[in-house]
Amino acid sequence: MLENLLSRFKGAVYPVNPKYDEVELWGRKVKFFKSVLDVQEPVDVAVIATPAPTVPKVLDEAGRKGVAAAIVLSGGFAEAGNAALEEQVVAVARQYGIKVLGPNCIGLFNAFADFDTVFLSSERAGRPPRGPLALISQSGAVTAAIMDWAARRGLGLGIVVSYGNEAGVTVTELVEAVTDDSNVRVVTLYLEGFRYPGEARKLLEVARKVAARKPIIAYKAGRGRTAQRAVKSHVAAMAGSYDMYRGLFSQAGIIEASSVREMFDMAKALAMQPIPRGSRVLVVTDSGGLAIQAVDVLEELGLEIPELPESIARELKRELLPFATVSNPVDLTGSATDEHYKIVLDALLPTAFFDMALVITLVQVPGLTHNLADYITAARRYGKPIAVVNFGGSEFVIKFERALEDNGIPVYPTPERAAKALWALYRYGEVRRKIAIAEAAAA
Amino acid sequence: MTHQIVARAVADGRSKLREDEALALLRAYGIPVPDFTIAESEEGAVKAADQIGYPVAVKVISPQIVHKTDVGGVVLNVADAQGVREAFRRLLEGVKTKAPYADVEGVLVQKMVPRGVELIIGAVYDEIFGHLIAFGLGGIYTELLRDFTMRVAPIDEHDAWEMVREVRAYRLLTGFRGMPPRDIDAIVDVLIKFSRLVTENPEIREADLNPVIALEEGRGAYVVDARFILRPS
Repeated sequence: MLENLLSRFKGAVYPVNPKYDEVELWGRKVKFFKSVLDVQEPVDVAVIATPAPTVPKVLDEAGRKGVAAAIVLSGGFAEAGNAALEEQVVAVARQYGIKVLGPNCIGLFNAFADFDTVFLSSERAGRPPRGPLALISQSGAVTAAIMDWAARRGLGLGIVVSYGNEAGVTVTELVEAVTDDSNVRVVTLYLEGFRYPGEARKLLEVARKVAARKPIIAYKAGRGRTAQRAVKSHVAAMAGSYDMYRGLFSQAGIIEASSVREMFDMAKALAMQPIPRGSRVLVVTDSGGLAIQAVDVLEELGLEIPELPESIARELKRELLPFATVSNPVDLTGSATDEHYKIVLDALLPTAFFDMALVITLVQVPGLTHNLADYITAARRYGKPIAVVNFGGSEFVIKFERALEDNGIPVYPTPERAAKALWALYRYGEVRRKIAIAEAAAA
Repeated sequence: MTHQIVARAVADGRSKLREDEALALLRAYGIPVPDFTIAESEEGAVKAADQIGYPVAVKVISPQIVHKTDVGGVVLNVADAQGVREAFRRLLEGVKTKAPYADVEGVLVQKMVPRGVELIIGAVYDEIFGHLIAFGLGGIYTELLRDFTMRVAPIDEHDAWEMVREVRAYRLLTGFRGMPPRDIDAIVDVLIKFSRLVTENPEIREADLNPVIALEEGRGAYVVDARFILRPS
């Protein structure tokens, strides 16, 4: 953590530890202070990683120094059975008006400010490239894993906050603050459970405000369905904790993901692609089998796969191979060429019959070249969302995928994941439309 | 803001509203319930039925009996005065045999509602969430298939419409297999009014409106049975 801050953070970093005076670290001489009170200059944030029993005192010194915010990485508080110690921390924070993140968290990673308190080495836990996605997470371990995974896949995360025991700053406050950041375009939320009474209602109010501007995607860990109370009535007996969260997300316009991976599949699409104005999908493929899978999932999700208008179908039939299936899905077969995809997309996507496209490109077939990525990218000009299905292990496949994603076209290894991503775009469109209607009615 | 029906029960140290109180509370919030009266004698029951109009349902009222049908405590589709007398006697017989410990406070005489689609609407109080409203189609849909939706109270018209549309069995309400569409406007109306009822009476910890009968378009939705569990004092 110290290494991260010293080597990357552009602002001043004051290491505090009474055991050291000056130490040679990472090729430079690092001066240590005995206490934060010994630092002459103003301090904005205290990152505290001292043993739990020392934290109240350390925080008190920070308070006396006038520090306004503290990130307490240390564990050993309420989660370890030490509620009283945690209450002490809360009391000190309240006394000085310090905003505390944690305790028992991995803190904050902000790629835009090069601020990183994650105390895991970059070898074990990679750092993601700078991007428009934000993650707010209740679990430190899951956060670190996501960051490493995002780093490997080149998924751009700009802000990552792990909030641990939530003794100070609440998840709702974080959602509000993170969404306010102009660098952030999509907010993802990994949630295990609210801590405070009334939190659900607060998140509902904040999310409703936010959802109009930026999409929030949430994954609720733990599908606990058992109601934990002695209940006498039917509804109370059947309503489990997860049912309440699911209802809340729906009510708040928060898009719910069924896994962490799905959360980022959706976030990727929402960050890269426009919102569709309707639910009608054009499916173009060089594999009939994968197209069937796509159609199954799209229909299950409530999206439509309308038939091609007759006149256009006839025209296309002339230009495409005789054994291509000219309906929806448009099956170009294994003899597909780059040109075929271009013809279909240009003829159909801009028409009033389709709102989005799911393009399946198994590039192992001989007729497809790198130019296909350019053709698909060019179809962005129609202003309708496109998701591509592409998989395989070769250099060619990887380069193809990168070319698409570098140009803002999300690529997925399965039709199901691509379909779900398109659904997330559609769902967010519905959320926005609903808010607009409600606002118009209120006006 | 607590309604006097609830306030009175709380003051009496009761944790549950009586059947007639529950129905009266719903009525006070504009939620449609079929006409009803409590009767304490056979003749009282007949008089009540004559006044309400046949056919009626006759149900036993006892604080100790939770599941009336299990003890033969419900007689439906009673068509005339003689039927009421027989029903009254049969109810008391049944209770004496199957629930001898129970105090019988009387019977509820209630106008029968025509057949329709059964719904369940409810509320539950949670520490973190506050009051939540739940909606689902009755019977196996909620009980077995767990097909229900929840929202944090208070809810508005948009929330109510969404809750209804979100259940997987929604198409049963818009017309299915020869059954004409239901009066969804009426269902939405019940949800909104019920939300207000629960919000204004936070002493309510759990509530079931079960069944709510949804009739055809234009014919409304009626709560036939309701249970309210209150915060222990």
